[in-house]
Amino acid sequence: MTNETSEKIFSNYGVYEVNENLELSFPNTEIKIERIGKNVFSYSRNDSESNLVKKIIPTKSNDLTIEISPIRPLNYPARRTSYMYLEFESPVFLSENSAATVFARCPIEIGVFLLHNEHKNPLDWFTCDPLNSRFGLYGAPDSGTLCKYSSSEIAESYEDSIPFFNAVLEINLKNELDSGHSISKVIFPISDYSVYYKNSKAIIDSVNAIMKKKITLEIFDVSSKPIQTDWAKSPTYEHTIDIKRIDMGVD
Amino acid sequence: MVLDFLQSLSEIELVGGLTLLSLLIGGIIMVVGITLARTVRLLFTKYYAPKLSQDTAKNFGKLIYFGIIIISFLVFTSSTGVDLSGLIVAGGIFGIVIGFATQSVVSNLISGVFLMLEKPAKQGDSIELPSLNISGTLLYIGTFSVKIRQFDGTIIRVPNESIFTTNIRSLTSTQVRRSECIVGIAYKEDIDAAITVIRKEIRKTMSYVLMVPKPEFRIKELADSSVNIEILVWHPREDWVEVSPKLLQVVKKALDDNGIEIPFPQRVIWEAKD
Repeated sequence: MTNETSEKIFSNYGVYEVNENLELSFPNTEIKIERIGKNVFSYSRNDSESNLVKKIIPTKSNDLTIEISPIRPLNYPARRTSYMYLEFESPVFLSENSAATVFARCPIEIGVFLLHNEHKNPLDWFTCDPLNSRFGLYGAPDSGTLCKYSSSEIAESYEDSIPFFNAVLEINLKNELDSGHSISKVIFPISDYSVYYKNSKAIIDSVNAIMKKKITLEIFDVSSKPIQTDWAKSPTYEHTIDIKRIDMGVD
Repeated sequence: MVLDFLQSLSEIELVGGLTLLSLLIGGIIMVVGITLARTVRLLFTKYYAPKLSQDTAKNFGKLIYFGIIIISFLVFTSSTGVDLSGLIVAGGIFGIVIGFATQSVVSNLISGVFLMLEKPAKQGDSIELPSLNISGTLLYIGTFSVKIRQFDGTIIRVPNESIFTTNIRSLTSTQVRRSECIVGIAYKEDIDAAITVIRKEIRKTMSYVLMVPKPEFRIKELADSSVNIEILVWHPREDWVEVSPKLLQVVKKALDDNGIEIPFPQRVIWEAKD
């Protein structure tokens, strides 16, 4: 289960059974799991910021099973919000009463889960791209919504994600207004969206974004659309909470 | 037999028409009243308090408890047939004396009521009282005072009157906060280049600084020895400690790494020729 790049071979997402030792390599991050006793393992992770995370894992069985999978990018540098703010590097222009579908890249983090009795317990998480894991505010400072922020490139297809750094999501744009508009960003509660993986690639549920009139206001109505795929669905790392839905304004 | 016993109690007069029987009945009324007050407060705390803010719930709980006890006391006094008119007259005079002596207590009580109605801040908010030089986390708005846990870990009690009449700066009412610092660069340095390197260093090393709104740079002053640049960055409200105390350090590192001079005050003295 490895993926060869031009410079270094990285491990893939997936389920790993550990009998004695396991070493996994990701961009800027190394994970080591070692048996240190009967039914006891040690877990250690080094990352690009020289952080060392160590944990002792007692197990009931002789083996240890873990799952490495992409997760929603909500944990680094700290869990502060459930919203994602994707700003397109090139705005998309939609003329009146038209629709378009684009694929965009969205950052991810990587979760490590302990598999035990068919339960997937979150053990650790990390990001391979801390430099691009930042916050942004949608709206005015006194009333805006704090989001995780990312500048997003338009991708060609679901296969176009950069391994371990981002996932691709489909954005279905529709303009029901009487005039054309540019769309430069999309804000959505990413905790409503599932992440899926195959080898080292990741995808996220689709976003439906409709520009429409709500009474007298022109709004950008954003909702999630689960996708049907044979890719493996990532477990949920964070505790799910109900979040308030916000309406985006039209640019 | 019981009736005979009660009859005998009713015949024993203590003072001013107060018999032992009426005192016994009054005692039972007070015990029932206190038990009822505790039960109602317990039920309120269990079923209704979770729907209210903690301060409001606590104060409503007190109001219910003491309200029932006062009503029980009034029932007790009326059932015993004690003539309270003398007590009321004496109480009135006593009340005036007490009123003068306890102005601040009453003032704190009234201020507390208005603070609970106005709710300028709620329990758990970080607040600053600039005129009192107090800042910290609001723990509790009580009947007479407010308790604040200062950022050094100590707890300070502030009378409600002081809180009510001072400015309150809420540090957590919005999701984001802004931190600022000022740095001076030498006159010979390129201002745009300095801003660029500072911007890059903040982007690289300060993960809590928001990308939107972007860090802002203002030329604050053409000072005696330096061009002063003000740097303003936004960050999540919880993460002030991750940004504000480190901002100057990051800025200095950016300027040092790129050989941009941060000047110290200098005076050039020209000696006049004869």
